[in-house]
Amino acid sequence: MAQNQTQPNIPTFKVVLVGDGGVGKTTFVKRHITGEFEKRYMATMGVEVHPLRFSTNFGEILMNVWDTAGQEKLGGLRDGYYIQGDAAIIMFDVTSRMTYKNVPQWHRDLVRVCENIPIVLCGNKVDIKDRKVKAKTITFHRKKSLQYYELSAKSNYNFEKPFLWIARKLIGNPGVEFTRALALQPPEVIIPDDQIAQMNKEIEEASHIPLPDEDDNTDL
Amino acid sequence: MTNPVVENAPAANAAVEGENGLVADEDCSKHYEPVVKLEKVETKTGEEDEEVLFKMRSKLFRFSKELKEWKERGTGDVRILEHKESKKVRLLMRREKTLKICMNQYVNPETELRENVGSDRSWVWHAVDYADEERDEALLAIRFRDSKDANEFKDAYDKARERMSGLRTQLEGGEQKAEPDAEAAVTEKKEAEAEAKKEPEQQKSTEKSSS
Repeated sequence: MAQNQTQPNIPTFKVVLVGDGGVGKTTFVKRHITGEFEKRYMATMGVEVHPLRFSTNFGEILMNVWDTAGQEKLGGLRDGYYIQGDAAIIMFDVTSRMTYKNVPQWHRDLVRVCENIPIVLCGNKVDIKDRKVKAKTITFHRKKSLQYYELSAKSNYNFEKPFLWIARKLIGNPGVEFTRALALQPPEVIIPDDQIAQMNKEIEEASHIPLPDEDDNTDL
Repeated sequence: MTNPVVENAPAANAAVEGENGLVADEDCSKHYEPVVKLEKVETKTGEEDEEVLFKMRSKLFRFSKELKEWKERGTGDVRILEHKESKKVRLLMRREKTLKICMNQYVNPETELRENVGSDRSWVWHAVDYADEERDEALLAIRFRDSKDANEFKDAYDKARERMSGLRTQLEGGEQKAEPDAEAAVTEKKEAEAEAKKEPEQQKSTEKSSS
């Protein structure tokens, strides 16, 4: 990443993100990078490493999130995905009992390589009304001393919590908070007259395409 | 959504259910050895010399030209900030909770907000944005809770355009050459175009022109 060049000593951590296919791992990571919420499902092949930068009151930190293929048919995960992991997130989908049932297997694979790292268990998609994994059945985190959060990548509910908890553990201070990232003055832009016509054409087209979830204003 | 309220004592070995059926947050007490030793630092926001002219909760979208659809960029407060010395006005937006920047651009006097089809609470415009510190020519849309909020934003934005237009007129009134900012902006534009293909160089040039 270009930003690494400007700040070579930024503390960097490897965070492994695992869980069954379709629970929302990639969508969750994208939410943190571009802000988008992807409804379509495209299975991740192998692994994608996403650098997530956070500004904290202990300085900038970088978490390299290893977003892994959850689908068995895509080859399962090799130990290399887990090696030197500093922290991990195990995700399941509260609307699918099977994805919760498989949590112990993901946990076993993980701790076989990473013996004692901070692990967050995340129940995603809590925005969906038809919840299948009820609160009283979620016991695994208690048995294994994991942190547990309910999430909705769609509504952003708790979406910062897993990374904030991991940051606090890796830095070893419960007082770690996210802070406003440095917003430099942007360059001033002068648009040449000959480009304005093209831009107006583009904006005309885009203004006829409706925004997603236009009928829902509960999030604002 | 607000945090669920915990009313009962923790049930044996099960997650605690709040009133809304969600599991209440509870901190895992297990101790881990820290991986790094970091000290608390003073952080800079880059907004220290600016005054907030306007602030409103909103949702920002960016148009994907390939997919021909709007993609979310972030939810949080959009703010119009005026620099106390240069008097330049920018649009700045951070995502709530993580406080990352999802929009950072000067208000352009030529750029008008337009309506989005079928929505009385959104605006669309063509922007050159620097949220990620790199030049991004983007079609953006911003949506508010209702049309009242949206109209308040438009009023504030149009006032900001007038201010920026005033600054530009001042520059064009004879001291064009003496004003480094105007030159820098033009040079930056040319550089950015030339460097569109040279990724690593771009970071440096962005820094240069904004310092």
